[in-house]
Amino acid sequence: MKILLSLIISLVITASSAASPKDKYPFETIEEQRLFNQLTKALRCPKCQNQNIADSNAGVAVDLKNKTYQLVKEGKSEQYVIDFMVQRYGNFVTYQPPINSVTVWLWLIPLLIAFMLGFIVYKRSQSAHQSASQTDIEQEMLEKAKAILKQGK
Amino acid sequence: MKKLRLLIPIVTFLFVCIFFYRGLFSDPRDIKNASLDREFPAFALADLMTPDLKRTESELMGKVTLVNVWGTWCITCRVELPFLTQLKQQENMRIVGVYYDNAVDAAFGPVDVNKTRLEVRQMLGQLGDPFLYNVYDEKRDLSLDLGITGAPESFLVNKQGKIVWHRRGDINVRLWQEELKPLFEKLKAE
Repeated sequence: MKILLSLIISLVITASSAASPKDKYPFETIEEQRLFNQLTKALRCPKCQNQNIADSNAGVAVDLKNKTYQLVKEGKSEQYVIDFMVQRYGNFVTYQPPINSVTVWLWLIPLLIAFMLGFIVYKRSQSAHQSASQTDIEQEMLEKAKAILKQGK
Repeated sequence: MKKLRLLIPIVTFLFVCIFFYRGLFSDPRDIKNASLDREFPAFALADLMTPDLKRTESELMGKVTLVNVWGTWCITCRVELPFLTQLKQQENMRIVGVYYDNAVDAAFGPVDVNKTRLEVRQMLGQLGDPFLYNVYDEKRDLSLDLGITGAPESFLVNKQGKIVWHRRGDINVRLWQEELKPLFEKLKAE
């Protein structure tokens, strides 16, 4: 039992150390390390459909990771690295789409639908209110009529 | 007014149908290469076979050139090599190779260039050699500048050194007949 346990523990330790990206891309400062991790998660692998380059093992993802590492080590900013990649691989490489005449609808359509629904709800509530006050008036008239009828008796 | 209201869901439904129908036949992997319609990126790299020889992008000027990015590790490259050789012989096309190592192989440690040269010689001797020369993209910076996602990929460069056409995958007879030949003839006549 003890042997099995130690075996499992040693396996877990070696597995976790093998999966750690720190060994392959060593950094001197935590900021650089954080920027690198952030960038490799924000950049999309151009070969794969929906994997970031941190996650992918495709050849091109390895190259992009190496380049990102090199640029971060050179002290380049986050925006510089993203621009560098977009320049070469197009907008596909970033998960944040730019706003242009085509993509602007991604933001506009939900807004338009929300406005339309709001308008419809507003209109409905108004007409419901109107009919409600109408019945009130009818009720009043009925009371009045009853009173007059009573008087007449 | 009542009739108009009835039209709204029908029109919406139609648009949704068109949207999904188009999505059904669109290829999500068909991403436009960002280098298209740009100047060929600047480079200064050694010739694969004679490392003392430095090649630059200026050598691509003056004649319509097909730049083929490939590697011996790439299987589709094997398939297209005989056809590219045929293009060189029959159409007198200038084809320049950009050789690059597989990043996954390279990640295991330094690649032995001499071994690569031997493999290249063997493969080209066996399947045909379409290349005027091969540029050795040792650090894969040129491939990155070109926006390469794998191999093979090809670029057609016009006489002014501008990239006018890009292909991800092999060049075959059908592609040549339908796309590449008309463009090649047009660019040659320019």
